[in-house]
Amino acid sequence: MLEACIFATALCGFFGIFLKKNLVMKIISMDIMSTGVIAYYVLVASRDGLFTPIAGKANTGAYSDPVPQAVILTAIVIGLSIQALMLVGVMKLAKDNPTLETKTIEENNTP
Amino acid sequence: MIYTTIVWMALPFFLGFAIYLLPQLDRLLALAMVLTSGIYAGQILSGGSSFNLQLLDHFGVTLTIDQLSGFFILTNALVTGAVLLYCWGSEKTSFFYMQAIILHGSVNATFICADFISLYVALEVISIAAFLLIAYPRTDRSIWVGLRYLFVSNTAMLFYLVGAVLVYQAHHSFNFAGLRGSPPEAVALIFLGLLVKGGIFVSGLWLPLTHSESETPVSAMLSGVVVKAGIFPLVRCALMLEEIDPIVRIFGVGTALLGICCAIPEQDTKRTLAFSTVSQLGFILAAPTVAGFYALTHGLVKSALFLIAGVLPSRNFQQLQHQPIKNSISIALVIASFSISGFPLLSGFGAKVLTSKNYLPWQVIVMNLAALGTAICFAKFIFLPSQKIWEKGKLRSDLWAAMMILLGGLIAANGFYYQAYTLQNIIKPLTTIALGWVVYLFIVKKWVIKLPRGVEEFDHLIGMMAVMLIIIFWMVRV
Repeated sequence: MLEACIFATALCGFFGIFLKKNLVMKIISMDIMSTGVIAYYVLVASRDGLFTPIAGKANTGAYSDPVPQAVILTAIVIGLSIQALMLVGVMKLAKDNPTLETKTIEENNTP
Repeated sequence: MIYTTIVWMALPFFLGFAIYLLPQLDRLLALAMVLTSGIYAGQILSGGSSFNLQLLDHFGVTLTIDQLSGFFILTNALVTGAVLLYCWGSEKTSFFYMQAIILHGSVNATFICADFISLYVALEVISIAAFLLIAYPRTDRSIWVGLRYLFVSNTAMLFYLVGAVLVYQAHHSFNFAGLRGSPPEAVALIFLGLLVKGGIFVSGLWLPLTHSESETPVSAMLSGVVVKAGIFPLVRCALMLEEIDPIVRIFGVGTALLGICCAIPEQDTKRTLAFSTVSQLGFILAAPTVAGFYALTHGLVKSALFLIAGVLPSRNFQQLQHQPIKNSISIALVIASFSISGFPLLSGFGAKVLTSKNYLPWQVIVMNLAALGTAICFAKFIFLPSQKIWEKGKLRSDLWAAMMILLGGLIAANGFYYQAYTLQNIIKPLTTIALGWVVYLFIVKKWVIKLPRGVEEFDHLIGMMAVMLIIIFWMVRV
Protein backbone atom coordinates (compact mmCIF):
# COMPACT_ATOMS: atom_id res chain seq x y z
CA MET A 1 0.00 0.00 0.00
CA LEU A 2 2.72 2.40 1.06
CA GLU A 3 4.76 1.32 -1.93
CA ALA A 4 1.85 2.01 -4.27
CA CYS A 5 1.44 5.50 -2.82
CA ILE A 6 5.13 6.21 -3.29
CA PHE A 7 5.08 5.08 -6.89
CA ALA A 8 1.96 7.14 -7.49
CA THR A 9 3.81 10.20 -6.18
CA ALA A 10 6.76 9.59 -8.46
CA LEU A 11 4.49 9.00 -11.44
CA CYS A 12 2.45 12.14 -10.73
CA GLY A 13 5.68 14.10 -10.73
CA PHE A 14 6.82 12.49 -13.95
CA PHE A 15 3.57 13.26 -15.75
CA GLY A 16 3.68 16.78 -14.41
CA ILE A 17 7.06 17.30 -16.03
CA PHE A 18 5.67 16.97 -19.51
CA LEU A 19 2.02 17.85 -19.04
CA LYS A 20 2.48 21.15 -17.22
CA LYS A 21 3.18 24.07 -19.52
CA ASN A 22 4.84 26.50 -17.16
CA LEU A 23 8.54 26.10 -16.56
CA VAL A 24 8.31 26.65 -12.80
CA MET A 25 5.55 24.06 -12.58
CA LYS A 26 7.77 21.63 -14.40
CA ILE A 27 10.52 22.17 -11.86
CA ILE A 28 8.08 21.64 -9.01
CA SER A 29 6.88 18.45 -10.70
CA MET A 30 10.44 17.25 -10.84
CA ASP A 31 10.75 17.95 -7.14
CA ILE A 32 7.65 15.86 -6.50
CA MET A 33 9.12 13.03 -8.50
CA SER A 34 12.32 13.17 -6.50
CA THR A 35 10.27 13.21 -3.29
CA GLY A 36 8.74 9.95 -4.44
CA VAL A 37 12.16 8.45 -5.10
CA ILE A 38 13.49 9.57 -1.72
CA ALA A 39 10.47 8.12 0.03
CA TYR A 40 11.10 4.84 -1.74
CA TYR A 41 14.64 4.72 -0.37
CA VAL A 42 13.31 5.32 3.12
CA LEU A 43 10.75 2.56 2.60
CA VAL A 44 13.42 0.11 1.46
CA ALA A 45 15.53 1.03 4.47
CA SER A 46 12.68 0.28 6.83
CA ARG A 47 11.96 -3.21 5.51
CA ASP A 48 13.88 -4.91 8.33
CA GLY A 49 12.80 -2.68 11.15
CA LEU A 50 11.80 0.79 12.16
CA PHE A 51 14.29 1.69 14.89
CA THR A 52 16.91 4.30 14.26
CA PRO A 53 20.22 2.53 13.75
CA ILE A 54 22.15 4.09 16.65
CA ALA A 55 24.21 1.84 18.90
CA GLY A 56 23.00 2.01 22.48
CA LYS A 57 22.10 0.02 25.54
CA ALA A 58 18.57 -0.86 24.55
CA ASN A 59 19.05 -3.50 21.93
CA THR A 60 15.75 -3.94 20.14
CA GLY A 61 17.18 -5.76 17.15
CA ALA A 62 14.77 -4.46 14.54
CA TYR A 63 16.97 -1.68 13.19
CA SER A 64 16.31 -0.03 9.87
CA ASP A 65 19.06 -0.25 7.29
CA PRO A 66 21.30 2.84 7.46
CA VAL A 67 22.88 2.45 4.01
CA PRO A 68 19.97 3.58 1.78
CA GLN A 69 19.32 6.46 4.14
CA ALA A 70 22.92 7.60 3.96
CA VAL A 71 22.90 7.26 0.21
CA ILE A 72 19.69 9.16 -0.30
CA LEU A 73 21.05 12.00 1.81
CA THR A 74 23.60 12.60 -0.95
CA ALA A 75 20.87 12.47 -3.55
CA ILE A 76 18.76 14.99 -1.63
CA VAL A 77 21.64 17.44 -1.50
CA ILE A 78 22.35 17.00 -5.19
CA GLY A 79 18.66 17.42 -6.04
CA LEU A 80 18.51 20.58 -3.98
CA SER A 81 21.52 22.13 -5.69
CA ILE A 82 20.23 21.23 -9.13
CA GLN A 83 16.90 22.81 -8.37
CA ALA A 84 18.56 25.95 -7.09
CA LEU A 85 20.59 26.12 -10.28
CA MET A 86 17.50 25.62 -12.44
CA LEU A 87 15.58 28.33 -10.64
CA VAL A 88 18.44 30.76 -11.22
CA GLY A 89 18.28 29.88 -14.91
CA VAL A 90 14.52 30.42 -14.88
CA MET A 91 14.98 33.81 -13.23
CA LYS A 92 17.29 34.87 -16.06
CA LEU A 93 14.85 33.57 -18.66
CA ALA A 94 11.92 35.33 -16.98
CA LYS A 95 13.31 38.73 -17.96
CA ASP A 96 12.51 38.18 -21.62
CA ASN A 97 9.75 35.60 -21.26
CA PRO A 98 7.63 36.79 -18.36
CA THR A 99 4.96 34.10 -18.81
CA LEU A 100 7.57 31.29 -18.70
CA GLU A 101 5.52 29.18 -21.12
CA THR A 102 7.86 26.42 -22.24
CA LYS A 103 6.43 26.40 -25.77
CA THR A 104 7.23 30.05 -26.42
CA ILE A 105 10.66 29.88 -24.84
CA GLU A 106 11.42 26.87 -26.98
CA GLU A 107 10.22 28.57 -30.15
CA ASN A 108 12.28 31.67 -29.45
CA ASN A 109 15.42 29.77 -28.65
CA THR A 110 15.71 26.97 -31.18
CA PRO A 111 17.18 27.70 -34.60
CA MET B 1 49.01 2.68 -6.82
CA ILE B 2 45.98 2.81 -4.53
CA TYR B 3 47.02 6.11 -2.99
CA THR B 4 47.98 7.53 -6.37
CA THR B 5 44.51 6.69 -7.62
CA ILE B 6 42.74 8.34 -4.73
CA VAL B 7 44.91 11.46 -4.88
CA TRP B 8 44.51 11.66 -8.64
CA MET B 9 40.73 11.30 -8.35
CA ALA B 10 40.39 14.05 -5.77
CA LEU B 11 42.95 16.41 -7.29
CA PRO B 12 40.72 18.02 -9.98
CA PHE B 13 38.17 19.06 -7.37
CA PHE B 14 40.83 20.66 -5.18
CA LEU B 15 42.41 22.31 -8.18
CA GLY B 16 39.02 23.47 -9.38
CA PHE B 17 38.48 25.45 -6.22
CA ALA B 18 42.12 26.52 -6.13
CA ILE B 19 41.61 28.04 -9.56
CA TYR B 20 38.78 30.11 -8.19
CA LEU B 21 40.98 31.35 -5.36
CA LEU B 22 44.01 32.01 -7.58
CA PRO B 23 42.52 33.25 -10.84
CA GLN B 24 45.94 34.26 -12.23
CA LEU B 25 47.04 30.65 -12.37
CA ASP B 26 43.84 29.30 -13.90
CA ARG B 27 45.14 27.95 -17.19
CA LEU B 28 48.39 26.61 -15.75
CA LEU B 29 46.64 24.71 -12.95
CA ALA B 30 44.11 23.29 -15.38
CA LEU B 31 46.84 22.17 -17.74
CA ALA B 32 48.79 20.61 -14.87
CA MET B 33 45.73 18.56 -13.94
CA VAL B 34 45.28 17.36 -17.50
CA LEU B 35 48.95 16.36 -17.67
CA THR B 36 48.57 14.40 -14.44
CA SER B 37 45.60 12.52 -15.91
CA GLY B 38 47.55 11.83 -19.07
CA ILE B 39 50.50 10.41 -17.14
CA TYR B 40 48.19 8.34 -14.95
CA ALA B 41 46.42 6.90 -18.01
CA GLY B 42 49.77 6.18 -19.64
CA GLN B 43 50.83 4.27 -16.55
CA ILE B 44 47.70 2.12 -16.59
CA LEU B 45 47.94 1.42 -20.30
CA SER B 46 51.66 0.63 -20.28
CA GLY B 47 51.56 -1.43 -17.10
CA GLY B 48 48.53 -3.38 -18.25
CA SER B 49 47.62 -3.65 -14.59
CA SER B 50 44.06 -3.89 -13.40
CA PHE B 51 42.94 -3.72 -9.84
CA ASN B 52 39.88 -3.30 -7.68
CA LEU B 53 39.58 -0.96 -4.79
CA GLN B 54 37.05 -1.49 -2.06
CA LEU B 55 36.70 1.44 0.29
CA LEU B 56 34.75 0.56 3.43
CA ASP B 57 32.53 -2.49 3.42
CA HIS B 58 30.54 -4.26 0.70
CA PHE B 59 28.20 -1.29 0.55
CA GLY B 60 31.02 1.25 0.27
CA VAL B 61 32.68 2.82 -2.73
CA THR B 62 34.11 0.36 -5.23
CA LEU B 63 36.60 1.37 -7.90
CA THR B 64 37.85 -0.73 -10.79
CA ILE B 65 40.80 0.39 -12.87
CA ASP B 66 41.89 -1.56 -15.92
CA GLN B 67 42.88 -1.20 -19.57
CA LEU B 68 39.38 -0.07 -20.54
CA SER B 69 39.37 2.79 -18.04
CA GLY B 70 42.90 3.64 -19.16
CA PHE B 71 41.71 4.30 -22.70
CA PHE B 72 38.79 6.43 -21.55
CA ILE B 73 40.95 8.44 -19.14
CA LEU B 74 43.51 9.05 -21.87
CA THR B 75 40.72 10.31 -24.16
CA ASN B 76 39.54 12.63 -21.44
CA ALA B 77 43.02 14.00 -20.82
CA LEU B 78 43.78 14.60 -24.49
CA VAL B 79 40.43 16.22 -25.30
CA THR B 80 40.42 18.46 -22.23
CA GLY B 81 44.03 19.42 -22.91
CA ALA B 82 43.23 20.35 -26.49
CA VAL B 83 40.22 22.38 -25.42
CA LEU B 84 42.32 24.24 -22.82
CA LEU B 85 44.93 25.10 -25.43
CA TYR B 86 42.18 26.20 -27.81
CA CYS B 87 40.88 28.63 -25.16
CA TRP B 88 44.37 29.77 -24.12
CA GLY B 89 44.30 33.13 -25.86
CA SER B 90 40.56 33.73 -25.49
CA GLU B 91 39.02 35.97 -22.89
CA LYS B 92 37.48 33.19 -20.85
CA THR B 93 37.34 33.90 -17.14
CA SER B 94 38.75 31.59 -14.51
CA PHE B 95 35.18 30.40 -13.88
CA PHE B 96 35.28 28.63 -17.23
CA TYR B 97 38.53 26.84 -16.41
CA MET B 98 37.26 25.89 -12.99
CA GLN B 99 34.15 24.27 -14.45
CA ALA B 100 36.17 22.61 -17.19
CA ILE B 101 38.51 21.01 -14.69
CA ILE B 102 35.68 19.90 -12.39
CA LEU B 103 33.99 18.40 -15.41
CA HIS B 104 37.26 16.66 -16.28
CA GLY B 105 37.51 15.26 -12.75
CA SER B 106 33.95 14.01 -12.58
CA VAL B 107 34.21 12.36 -15.99
CA ASN B 108 37.38 10.64 -14.77
CA ALA B 109 35.49 9.47 -11.71
CA THR B 110 32.84 7.76 -13.83
CA PHE B 111 35.58 5.91 -15.69
CA ILE B 112 36.88 4.21 -12.57
CA CYS B 113 33.88 3.66 -10.35
CA ALA B 114 32.22 0.27 -10.16
CA ASP B 115 29.19 0.86 -7.98
CA PHE B 116 25.93 2.55 -8.76
CA ILE B 117 25.99 5.26 -6.16
CA SER B 118 29.47 6.66 -6.86
CA LEU B 119 28.44 6.58 -10.50
CA TYR B 120 25.27 8.51 -9.67
CA VAL B 121 27.20 11.20 -7.82
CA ALA B 122 29.76 11.52 -10.62
CA LEU B 123 27.05 11.74 -13.28
CA GLU B 124 25.19 14.44 -11.38
CA VAL B 125 28.36 16.48 -10.93
CA ILE B 126 28.84 16.16 -14.67
CA SER B 127 25.32 17.49 -15.27
CA ILE B 128 25.92 20.52 -13.10
CA ALA B 129 29.36 21.34 -14.50
CA ALA B 130 28.17 20.81 -18.07
CA PHE B 131 25.15 23.05 -17.46
CA LEU B 132 27.38 25.83 -16.18
CA LEU B 133 29.66 25.48 -19.19
CA ILE B 134 26.77 25.47 -21.67
CA ALA B 135 25.21 28.51 -20.01
CA TYR B 136 28.57 30.31 -19.84
CA PRO B 137 27.70 32.94 -22.52
CA ARG B 138 24.63 33.89 -20.41
CA THR B 139 22.42 34.42 -23.44
CA ASP B 140 18.78 33.35 -23.33
CA ARG B 141 19.40 30.61 -25.82
CA SER B 142 22.37 29.14 -24.00
CA ILE B 143 20.47 29.17 -20.71
CA TRP B 144 17.49 27.42 -22.27
CA VAL B 145 19.69 24.79 -23.92
CA GLY B 146 21.49 24.21 -20.63
CA LEU B 147 18.26 24.07 -18.67
CA ARG B 148 16.84 21.54 -21.08
CA TYR B 149 19.96 19.41 -20.69
CA LEU B 150 19.86 19.59 -16.91
CA PHE B 151 16.15 18.76 -16.85
CA VAL B 152 16.44 15.74 -19.11
CA SER B 153 19.47 14.31 -17.36
CA ASN B 154 18.10 14.90 -13.88
CA THR B 155 14.80 13.20 -14.69
CA ALA B 156 16.72 10.25 -16.14
CA MET B 157 18.87 10.07 -13.02
CA LEU B 158 15.75 9.89 -10.84
CA PHE B 159 14.71 6.74 -12.70
CA TYR B 160 18.25 5.48 -12.28
CA LEU B 161 18.08 6.01 -8.50
CA VAL B 162 14.99 3.84 -8.22
CA GLY B 163 16.82 1.15 -10.16
CA ALA B 164 19.83 1.44 -7.88
CA VAL B 165 17.78 0.89 -4.74
CA LEU B 166 16.14 -2.16 -6.29
CA VAL B 167 19.61 -3.61 -6.87
CA TYR B 168 20.48 -2.85 -3.26
CA GLN B 169 17.31 -4.54 -2.07
CA ALA B 170 18.27 -7.72 -3.90
CA HIS B 171 21.93 -7.90 -2.88
CA HIS B 172 22.60 -5.44 -0.05
CA SER B 173 25.32 -3.95 -2.22
CA PHE B 174 25.44 -1.32 -4.95
CA ASN B 175 28.14 -3.08 -6.95
CA PHE B 176 27.72 -3.37 -10.75
CA ALA B 177 27.85 -7.15 -10.39
CA GLY B 178 24.57 -6.94 -8.45
CA LEU B 179 22.74 -6.37 -11.72
CA ARG B 180 22.73 -10.14 -12.08
CA GLY B 181 19.86 -11.57 -10.10
CA SER B 182 18.15 -8.21 -9.70
CA PRO B 183 14.55 -7.87 -10.85
CA PRO B 184 14.15 -6.86 -14.52
CA GLU B 185 12.68 -3.48 -13.58
CA ALA B 186 15.93 -2.60 -11.82
CA VAL B 187 17.94 -3.29 -14.97
CA ALA B 188 15.42 -1.37 -17.09
CA LEU B 189 15.47 1.71 -14.84
CA ILE B 190 19.26 1.83 -14.56
CA PHE B 191 19.68 1.35 -18.27
CA LEU B 192 17.19 4.10 -19.02
CA GLY B 193 19.23 6.52 -16.94
CA LEU B 194 22.50 5.55 -18.60
CA LEU B 195 21.08 5.53 -22.13
CA VAL B 196 19.66 9.01 -21.72
CA LYS B 197 22.87 10.27 -20.18
CA GLY B 198 24.94 8.69 -22.94
CA GLY B 199 22.74 9.97 -25.75
CA ILE B 200 21.84 6.57 -27.17
CA PHE B 201 19.03 5.85 -29.63
CA VAL B 202 15.76 7.81 -29.34
CA SER B 203 16.42 8.72 -25.73
CA GLY B 204 19.53 10.54 -26.96
CA LEU B 205 17.68 13.03 -29.13
CA TRP B 206 18.41 15.81 -26.65
CA LEU B 207 22.02 15.60 -27.78
CA PRO B 208 22.00 17.27 -31.23
CA LEU B 209 20.58 20.59 -30.07
CA THR B 210 22.70 20.71 -26.92
CA HIS B 211 25.94 19.92 -28.69
CA SER B 212 25.31 22.14 -31.68
CA GLU B 213 24.14 25.22 -29.81
CA SER B 214 26.93 25.26 -27.21
CA GLU B 215 30.09 27.25 -27.75
CA THR B 216 32.78 25.55 -29.83
CA PRO B 217 35.13 24.41 -27.02
CA VAL B 218 32.19 23.26 -24.91
CA SER B 219 30.69 21.18 -27.71
CA ALA B 220 34.09 19.65 -28.34
CA MET B 221 34.27 18.57 -24.73
CA LEU B 222 30.66 17.39 -24.54
CA SER B 223 30.90 15.33 -27.70
CA GLY B 224 34.45 14.16 -27.11
CA VAL B 225 34.24 12.87 -23.57
CA VAL B 226 31.17 13.80 -21.57
CA VAL B 227 28.72 11.53 -23.42
CA LYS B 228 31.17 8.68 -22.87
CA ALA B 229 30.51 8.96 -19.16
CA GLY B 230 27.09 7.45 -19.87
CA ILE B 231 28.51 4.87 -22.27
CA PHE B 232 31.28 3.58 -20.03
CA PRO B 233 29.09 1.98 -17.32
CA LEU B 234 27.02 0.27 -20.03
CA VAL B 235 30.18 -1.19 -21.53
CA ARG B 236 31.44 -2.20 -18.10
CA CYS B 237 28.16 -3.97 -17.28
CA ALA B 238 28.12 -5.69 -20.67
CA LEU B 239 31.62 -7.01 -20.04
CA MET B 240 30.81 -8.18 -16.53
CA LEU B 241 27.49 -9.87 -17.23
CA GLU B 242 26.97 -11.76 -20.44
CA GLU B 243 23.17 -11.57 -20.23
CA ILE B 244 23.38 -7.77 -20.51
CA ASP B 245 25.70 -7.94 -23.51
CA PRO B 246 23.06 -8.57 -26.23
CA ILE B 247 20.92 -5.64 -25.02
CA VAL B 248 23.88 -3.28 -25.18
CA ARG B 249 24.76 -4.53 -28.64
CA ILE B 250 21.19 -4.08 -29.91
CA PHE B 251 21.16 -0.49 -28.70
CA GLY B 252 24.56 0.05 -30.28
CA VAL B 253 23.31 -1.10 -33.66
CA GLY B 254 20.08 0.89 -33.36
CA THR B 255 21.76 4.14 -32.43
CA ALA B 256 24.49 3.73 -35.08
CA LEU B 257 21.83 3.51 -37.76
CA LEU B 258 19.51 6.17 -36.36
CA GLY B 259 22.28 8.70 -35.87
CA ILE B 260 23.70 8.34 -39.33
CA CYS B 261 20.27 8.47 -40.99
CA CYS B 262 19.68 11.83 -39.33
CA ALA B 263 23.22 13.08 -40.01
CA ILE B 264 23.25 12.56 -43.78
CA PRO B 265 20.44 14.95 -44.80
CA GLU B 266 21.41 17.55 -42.19
CA GLN B 267 22.44 20.93 -43.66
CA ASP B 268 24.10 22.38 -40.59
CA THR B 269 27.73 21.47 -39.87
CA LYS B 270 27.53 21.31 -36.10
CA ARG B 271 24.27 19.38 -36.12
CA THR B 272 25.75 16.89 -38.57
CA LEU B 273 28.65 16.38 -36.19
CA ALA B 274 26.30 15.98 -33.23
CA PHE B 275 24.19 13.36 -35.01
CA SER B 276 27.36 11.61 -36.06
CA THR B 277 28.30 11.45 -32.37
CA VAL B 278 25.01 9.63 -31.71
CA SER B 279 25.93 7.16 -34.41
CA GLN B 280 29.58 6.70 -33.38
CA LEU B 281 28.54 5.93 -29.82
CA GLY B 282 26.69 3.02 -31.38
CA PHE B 283 29.97 1.69 -32.76
CA ILE B 284 31.43 1.84 -29.27
CA LEU B 285 28.53 -0.10 -27.80
CA ALA B 286 28.28 -2.59 -30.65
CA ALA B 287 31.52 -4.29 -29.61
CA PRO B 288 31.98 -3.80 -25.86
CA THR B 289 35.20 -5.84 -25.70
CA VAL B 290 37.15 -3.29 -27.72
CA ALA B 291 35.18 -0.20 -26.76
CA GLY B 292 38.18 1.59 -25.25
CA PHE B 293 40.16 2.03 -28.44
CA TYR B 294 37.16 3.15 -30.45
CA ALA B 295 36.22 5.65 -27.76
CA LEU B 296 39.75 7.07 -27.84
CA THR B 297 39.79 7.61 -31.59
CA HIS B 298 36.25 8.94 -31.66
CA GLY B 299 36.91 11.38 -28.82
CA LEU B 300 39.98 12.77 -30.56
CA VAL B 301 38.43 13.07 -33.97
CA LYS B 302 35.10 14.48 -32.88
CA SER B 303 36.58 17.20 -30.72
CA ALA B 304 38.96 18.10 -33.57
CA LEU B 305 36.01 18.33 -35.97
CA PHE B 306 34.00 20.50 -33.58
CA LEU B 307 36.94 22.84 -33.06
CA ILE B 308 37.43 23.16 -36.82
CA ALA B 309 33.70 23.65 -37.44
CA GLY B 310 33.92 26.57 -35.02
CA VAL B 311 36.30 28.49 -37.31
CA LEU B 312 34.52 27.78 -40.61
CA PRO B 313 32.99 30.92 -42.13
CA SER B 314 29.45 29.52 -42.02
CA ARG B 315 27.51 26.72 -40.44
CA ASN B 316 25.42 25.94 -43.49
CA PHE B 317 26.72 23.49 -46.08
CA GLN B 318 24.97 25.32 -48.95
CA GLN B 319 26.76 28.54 -48.08
CA LEU B 320 30.07 26.79 -47.54
CA GLN B 321 29.86 25.46 -51.10
CA HIS B 322 30.12 29.05 -52.34
CA GLN B 323 32.46 30.31 -49.68
CA PRO B 324 35.91 28.71 -49.99
CA ILE B 325 37.71 27.97 -46.74
CA LYS B 326 41.39 28.41 -46.00
CA ASN B 327 43.68 25.70 -47.31
CA SER B 328 45.32 24.99 -43.96
CA ILE B 329 41.97 24.57 -42.19
CA SER B 330 40.72 22.43 -45.00
CA ILE B 331 43.69 20.06 -44.61
CA ALA B 332 42.97 19.56 -40.93
CA LEU B 333 39.30 19.05 -41.72
CA VAL B 334 40.08 16.45 -44.37
CA ILE B 335 42.48 14.54 -42.09
CA ALA B 336 39.85 14.36 -39.35
CA SER B 337 37.10 13.35 -41.79
CA PHE B 338 39.32 10.65 -43.26
CA SER B 339 40.01 9.24 -39.83
CA ILE B 340 36.37 9.01 -38.86
CA SER B 341 35.51 7.34 -42.18
CA GLY B 342 38.20 4.74 -41.44
CA PHE B 343 40.94 5.64 -43.90
CA PRO B 344 44.25 3.76 -43.38
CA LEU B 345 47.22 5.59 -41.77
CA LEU B 346 44.90 7.19 -39.24
CA SER B 347 43.82 5.37 -36.13
CA GLY B 348 40.13 5.56 -37.06
CA PHE B 349 41.04 2.76 -39.45
CA GLY B 350 42.52 0.54 -36.74
CA ALA B 351 39.52 1.17 -34.50
CA LYS B 352 37.04 0.29 -37.25
CA VAL B 353 38.93 -2.92 -38.11
CA LEU B 354 39.24 -3.96 -34.49
CA THR B 355 35.56 -3.29 -33.84
CA SER B 356 34.42 -5.12 -36.95
CA LYS B 357 36.40 -8.19 -35.83
CA ASN B 358 34.31 -8.30 -32.68
CA TYR B 359 30.84 -8.06 -34.19
CA LEU B 360 28.42 -10.89 -33.79
CA PRO B 361 27.18 -12.34 -37.11
CA TRP B 362 23.82 -10.54 -36.97
CA GLN B 363 25.47 -7.17 -36.47
CA VAL B 364 27.80 -7.25 -39.47
CA ILE B 365 25.45 -6.07 -42.24
CA VAL B 366 23.90 -3.25 -40.28
CA MET B 367 27.21 -1.97 -38.97
CA ASN B 368 28.71 -2.01 -42.46
CA LEU B 369 25.74 0.06 -43.60
CA ALA B 370 26.41 2.48 -40.77
CA ALA B 371 30.09 2.68 -41.78
CA LEU B 372 28.99 3.44 -45.33
CA GLY B 373 26.71 6.13 -43.93
CA THR B 374 29.63 7.64 -42.04
CA ALA B 375 31.64 7.80 -45.26
CA ILE B 376 28.73 9.51 -47.05
CA CYS B 377 28.23 11.93 -44.20
CA PHE B 378 31.86 13.01 -43.98
CA ALA B 379 32.15 13.31 -47.75
CA LYS B 380 30.15 16.48 -47.12
CA PHE B 381 33.15 17.86 -45.23
CA ILE B 382 35.83 16.43 -47.52
CA PHE B 383 34.37 17.97 -50.69
CA LEU B 384 34.07 21.50 -49.36
CA PRO B 385 35.89 23.90 -51.70
CA SER B 386 39.08 25.47 -50.40
CA GLN B 387 41.59 27.98 -51.70
CA LYS B 388 44.67 29.88 -50.65
CA ILE B 389 43.65 32.84 -48.55
CA TRP B 390 46.33 35.01 -47.01
CA GLU B 391 45.16 36.70 -43.89
CA LYS B 392 47.57 39.06 -42.26
CA GLY B 393 48.36 38.75 -38.60
CA LYS B 394 45.41 36.53 -37.75
CA LEU B 395 47.22 33.30 -37.11
CA ARG B 396 45.12 31.05 -34.90
CA SER B 397 47.99 29.50 -32.99
CA ASP B 398 45.56 28.21 -30.32
CA LEU B 399 43.65 26.21 -32.86
CA TRP B 400 46.82 24.69 -34.25
CA ALA B 401 48.13 23.75 -30.82
CA ALA B 402 44.86 21.90 -30.19
CA MET B 403 45.02 20.28 -33.62
CA MET B 404 48.58 19.10 -32.96
CA ILE B 405 47.39 17.20 -29.90
CA LEU B 406 44.24 15.77 -31.45
CA LEU B 407 45.44 14.90 -34.94
CA GLY B 408 48.88 13.91 -33.64
CA GLY B 409 47.09 11.65 -31.17
CA LEU B 410 45.11 10.14 -34.03
CA ILE B 411 48.28 9.20 -35.87
CA ALA B 412 50.14 8.05 -32.76
CA ALA B 413 47.20 5.89 -31.64
CA ASN B 414 47.90 3.65 -34.62
CA GLY B 415 50.54 2.09 -32.39
CA PHE B 416 47.89 0.47 -30.20
CA TYR B 417 46.76 -1.79 -33.01
CA TYR B 418 49.31 -1.87 -35.80
CA GLN B 419 48.31 -5.50 -36.63
CA ALA B 420 45.39 -4.00 -38.55
CA TYR B 421 47.59 -3.24 -41.55
CA THR B 422 47.02 -6.24 -43.78
CA LEU B 423 45.98 -6.01 -47.41
CA GLN B 424 42.58 -7.54 -46.77
CA ASN B 425 41.82 -5.11 -43.98
CA ILE B 426 42.88 -2.11 -46.04
CA ILE B 427 40.77 -2.92 -49.09
CA LYS B 428 37.46 -3.07 -47.23
CA PRO B 429 37.41 0.48 -45.79
CA LEU B 430 38.74 1.87 -49.05
CA THR B 431 35.82 0.37 -50.96
CA THR B 432 33.42 1.62 -48.30
CA ILE B 433 34.79 5.15 -48.59
CA ALA B 434 34.80 5.07 -52.39
CA LEU B 435 31.21 3.83 -52.42
CA GLY B 436 30.25 6.49 -49.90
CA TRP B 437 31.75 9.23 -52.06
CA VAL B 438 29.96 7.99 -55.15
CA VAL B 439 26.65 7.99 -53.31
CA TYR B 440 27.39 11.46 -51.99
CA LEU B 441 28.43 13.02 -55.29
CA PHE B 442 25.60 11.57 -57.34
CA ILE B 443 22.70 11.44 -54.92
CA VAL B 444 23.07 13.12 -51.56
CA LYS B 445 24.67 16.33 -52.83
CA LYS B 446 21.56 17.17 -54.84
CA TRP B 447 19.15 16.38 -52.04
CA VAL B 448 17.45 19.03 -50.06
CA ILE B 449 15.52 17.28 -47.34
CA LYS B 450 14.55 18.90 -44.12
CA LEU B 451 13.95 16.47 -41.31
CA PRO B 452 11.20 17.48 -38.92
CA ARG B 453 12.55 18.51 -35.54
CA GLY B 454 9.36 17.91 -33.60
CA VAL B 455 10.77 14.93 -31.73
CA GLU B 456 13.46 17.13 -30.25
CA GLU B 457 10.91 19.23 -28.37
CA PHE B 458 11.32 19.15 -24.63
CA ASP B 459 8.02 17.46 -23.78
CA HIS B 460 8.65 14.70 -26.29
CA LEU B 461 12.10 14.07 -24.88
CA ILE B 462 10.63 13.44 -21.45
CA GLY B 463 7.73 11.42 -22.82
CA MET B 464 10.15 9.32 -24.83
CA MET B 465 11.73 8.19 -21.57
CA ALA B 466 8.51 6.42 -20.59
CA VAL B 467 8.38 4.69 -23.97
CA MET B 468 12.02 3.66 -23.72
CA LEU B 469 11.48 2.36 -20.21
CA ILE B 470 8.77 0.01 -21.48
CA ILE B 471 10.91 -1.11 -24.41
CA ILE B 472 13.94 -1.87 -22.24
CA PHE B 473 11.80 -3.62 -19.65
CA TRP B 474 10.37 -5.82 -22.36
CA MET B 475 13.84 -6.55 -23.73
CA VAL B 476 15.24 -7.48 -20.33
CA ARG B 477 12.25 -9.69 -19.63
CA VAL B 478 12.64 -11.74 -22.82
